[in-house]
Amino acid sequence: MANPIIDLIDVRKSFAMPGGETVDVLDIPRFSVAAGEHCALEGQSGSGKSTLLNVISGIMRPDAGRVLLDGIDLARIPEAGRDRVRADKLGLVFQSFNLLPGFTALENVLVAMAFGSERPDRARAASLLEAVGLQHRLNHKPSALSTGQQQRVAVARALANRPRVVLADEPTASIDAAHQQQVIDLLRNTCSQQNVALVVVTHAPEVAEQFPRRIRLEQFNRAAAGHRH
Amino acid sequence: MNLLGIAWRNIRQRWLTSLLTALSLALGVALVVATLVTGGLVKQAFESGAGLGYNMIVGAKGSPLQLVLNSVYFISKPIENISWEFYQQFLPAAERADGIDGTFASSSKTAVPICMGDYFKGFRVIGTNAAFFNRITRGDGQPFAFSSGSNFRDDDFFAGVLGATVAAKLGLKTGDRFAPTHGADDGKVHDPFTVAGVLARTDTPVDRGVFVNMEGFYLQDGHAKPVADDATAVALAPAVAQLSGAPAPLPAAQREVTAILLETAAPPGLPGMPPLPAELTAMGLRTAINEGRDGQAAQPIAEIRQLLDLFVRPLELLLLLVTALVVLVSAMGILVSMVGSALERSRDVAIMRALGARRSHVLATVLIEAMLLAVGGGLVGWLLGHLLVGAIGPWISTNAGVSASLFSSVPLAEALLVPFLILLAIAAALLPAIAAYRTDVSKWLQGPG
Repeated sequence: MANPIIDLIDVRKSFAMPGGETVDVLDIPRFSVAAGEHCALEGQSGSGKSTLLNVISGIMRPDAGRVLLDGIDLARIPEAGRDRVRADKLGLVFQSFNLLPGFTALENVLVAMAFGSERPDRARAASLLEAVGLQHRLNHKPSALSTGQQQRVAVARALANRPRVVLADEPTASIDAAHQQQVIDLLRNTCSQQNVALVVVTHAPEVAEQFPRRIRLEQFNRAAAGHRH
Repeated sequence: MNLLGIAWRNIRQRWLTSLLTALSLALGVALVVATLVTGGLVKQAFESGAGLGYNMIVGAKGSPLQLVLNSVYFISKPIENISWEFYQQFLPAAERADGIDGTFASSSKTAVPICMGDYFKGFRVIGTNAAFFNRITRGDGQPFAFSSGSNFRDDDFFAGVLGATVAAKLGLKTGDRFAPTHGADDGKVHDPFTVAGVLARTDTPVDRGVFVNMEGFYLQDGHAKPVADDATAVALAPAVAQLSGAPAPLPAAQREVTAILLETAAPPGLPGMPPLPAELTAMGLRTAINEGRDGQAAQPIAEIRQLLDLFVRPLELLLLLVTALVVLVSAMGILVSMVGSALERSRDVAIMRALGARRSHVLATVLIEAMLLAVGGGLVGWLLGHLLVGAIGPWISTNAGVSASLFSSVPLAEALLVPFLILLAIAAALLPAIAAYRTDVSKWLQGPG
């Protein structure tokens, strides 16, 4: 793959269990996503999806291997550097949205901007919310928004710092079937408009089948079956 | 939105807890400010009194502090009286009936007698002569000024002068009459005196004084010293004895004074040499008086310094310690609040970290939040403290003789308050800030898989 935006090479991650046992969670010889590519990542519960997202986003450092995000190896830079890369190059959408409850929709987007390289831009934050159809809900707190509206705020927030990649972790798991399609359309459309790579982790086949690239975690994660030492 | 905005939003999100935390700190700070300001005012009251335009007080033997408190601050009881003859020893020939300098006349620049023991509606009555206001200064070197009327004349036996607080509190003005009572407020009522003048405010104990002509004072019931018949032969000074049209003055033998306010004279210098300080005379005079049997000499400044060192400062320190403990308890409130906040917001912190917030951002946000609470609470407390001083100002003014208002301040201590509160906030918020710093992002945001 030419110019991958995400490129994992020989990545391994294991966790020590309370009984002294070590569990391999990730053992990935190679996994790449091209710039602007949209792909669905499928996997059963316990297959290492969350750990993979944590490693790609720099929240966790792998035990071994290289994690290249837009050419920067997250496995070799300190935590503060990984935080900076995450703020500037990644947008995250969580399963339970994870909006800050005390902040308005607009402030939730502005908070994400506060940690990026650019100065927080109120007008841009408002236009992002406008792009997801929330121009009339800028000053509403999450508790005053519907589930679908909260997910839209989460999408707008993920795009706050003009990221190269959006990682969405089960973005449709907490919403009803009627809204699932809206969320997928919203994510794909907004990421397409801004030429942002999109990786959606899902266990729902009806969601995965809408993506041009569909990969099962077990296909490239040798630890997905749970090798124990 | 910057870190300050995030911290402010966090405070607003938990507005009730934040409000209560800031309020508890505000109350602590209000107590500290009120203690500092009133303590400063009380000290100022003592120091301003001690700086009146005389450097020695001569009175009956006993406690020098009691002599000073009674004569200068008009608090405490008089020790005893000293004899008229002893008082005469401080006067020059021109002021004595016998035309001979008194024993201590050469060492005395000004000697003003005061007679005490009467009251008027809670204020002390001081019998004295016109020299009190003509020759003694306010302490800052300035002569006494009158807001209305003027000083009484020595030949106007039933005239008096009121301190500013007395006139304001009792609503008396020049030309009004007032009748002191003997020994206490409920004592025998004496003849009335006429207000000749009201003093401008001095911020000294003089503001709380009711000053009457001592010739009128002597003529009141119970003020004449009982003596044998043949003792009345002692003559009075020309200024008193030769007045015409006035009531007959009390014979000298029946007179006593409570104390003499004395300004010592500078010793004669040597030709071609700079003048010697009056303190040199004071030292010799004090020794001479204290070695004698007629009375004692006390130095107001030394006595007041001793009083401040022995009682006022330790008391002030104790009060400050108590109020500092109150502030510390308030700081514990910040700690408890921030710990609660940190626990409540672990998920929020994890979200922010996932959005790219560095650990230092999280640490700074918690510290800024604590500082906002501390500074906000501190400023409200500072204002409350001054309001408190303003509210009790009239009481302080009446009882301590200094004007206390909303604007009374101790600039240095108050200027240090904000940096102190910021340090306190940092100390209190450090543990919760570190807890937030260590928040495990993956634990709080873990999804299935």
